[in-house]
Amino acid sequence: MSESATGTYETACTRIEEVIRRLDSGEAGLRETLELCQEGKRLVEFCAGELDAVAHGLEELRLDEMVSRLETGSRPGATAQAA
Amino acid sequence: MAAPSPHPDGIPGSRLSGPWPVGEYASALRDRLRGFTRVQVFGELFGLKVGRAKVWFELRDRWGALPCSMWRKDWDALGLHTLGDGAVVVAAGGCDFYPGSRASSPSFSFAVSKLRVAGEGDLLAQVERLRRALADEGLFEPQKRLARPSLPRTIGVVSGEGGKARDDVLAGLRRRGWAGRIVWAFAPVQDRRAAPAITRALQDLAACEEVEVIVVARGGGSLADLFAFCDETLCRTVALLRVPVISSVGHHTDRTLIDDVAAVACSTPTHAAEAAVPVDCAAARAQLRGLAARLERRSRLAIVERARVLARLARAPADHVERHRTRLHQHARELRATARRRLETAGRHTSTTALVLERKARAASGAEQVQHARNLERLALALAAHEPQRALERGYALVEDPSGEPVTSAAAAREHAELTLRLHDGRVSVRPRP
Repeated sequence: MSESATGTYETACTRIEEVIRRLDSGEAGLRETLELCQEGKRLVEFCAGELDAVAHGLEELRLDEMVSRLETGSRPGATAQAA
Repeated sequence: MAAPSPHPDGIPGSRLSGPWPVGEYASALRDRLRGFTRVQVFGELFGLKVGRAKVWFELRDRWGALPCSMWRKDWDALGLHTLGDGAVVVAAGGCDFYPGSRASSPSFSFAVSKLRVAGEGDLLAQVERLRRALADEGLFEPQKRLARPSLPRTIGVVSGEGGKARDDVLAGLRRRGWAGRIVWAFAPVQDRRAAPAITRALQDLAACEEVEVIVVARGGGSLADLFAFCDETLCRTVALLRVPVISSVGHHTDRTLIDDVAAVACSTPTHAAEAAVPVDCAAARAQLRGLAARLERRSRLAIVERARVLARLARAPADHVERHRTRLHQHARELRATARRRLETAGRHTSTTALVLERKARAASGAEQVQHARNLERLALALAAHEPQRALERGYALVEDPSGEPVTSAAAAREHAELTLRLHDGRVSVRPRP
């Protein structure tokens, strides 16, 4: 889980729902509408990225392998992707 | 090697046999003790000491005590390392005696071959005491206050290496459609080595920054089997970890202390895996596609609707002019029609008037003509009477200056050097004298 300006996956999902509710209400002006749409698209991309991150295929490591990788300075993700 | 001591004489006056070499007597004593009937005894366990090959403890009750020993491998197999002083156990075995030697001390013990906790009630009482202590220290809360990610990328799992729990965890994660990274920390989950090993595994997993949540999974068993998960050190470690721990130890009817201190306690390893990934990834993907579509549709609608309004507003002035143009044309047509109607009416009226006048003129034309002739004649006579030529014929002359203008005064006549006298039959030039 990455924590960024968009927050966590769950906060991003909650915010998308809020954005859509606001858009559905029809009360937002043009500028706000465009800003909300932009924000919503950014959040959707973030969530899709989070889902993609856990869809590459199960990677199983033993703790000692994880520790040795960390000690040698190679991040597990980088190794897995390289493999 | 020291030479054997000579056989000493006995005590004078004593009727007891001997003296015998002590080692010989000790061996005989051992043989005699081992010949005692093997029995089961029960009592409270105290002073547990774990050695490399054997463990030692005492069984006590209010009437006496018995030193006990047990082979280490038999003790480990019981998984009862968490037994504390006062636990009531039943021990099966028989008397034994180590005869010792010149270099080692003899010892008597009740050699235990089998042992069981006298009642789970005792174990439960121990667990309850520890549970109350941990609760009083507020150690049930810290884990529950930790934020649990709904979509962790890396999950740590502590379980037995060959246990079914491992497969159940994988099944739970597959059910969620999750395919991230699992870090397995295999540890014994039953014997006396379990609690320290599990504690160390949890600490190591929590030390890995990538690990976002940890599952501790173990299948069912007796309370004694699960006792490692009531270990005080283990529970205190879990309570203070920075990473949320999801426990699944035993069946749903079992309640170990790790369940109390963990962030979440689940009844099965499968449920623990599902709790570690609360989001159903497949459903989340579908939901996200729906949200993206709604967002796209709403975005497009917002623009199209506004464009439509703008287009309507842009057309408004032209529509307004067109409406006025149409109205103007209508007015013009009405004006032309009205004018035509008025002209026709006026024409008809004029024709009627002309007709009437013509009729009247025709009726009055005879008398009027005679009167007009008379008037004309009278006027002609009046005009003729004022004709200047008639005055000239009667002897008058008209004085004109050189430009032909009449001179009407003597003063005016003196201003000119030459004048013309106009008579009825011609002109004569004259020079006035000063």
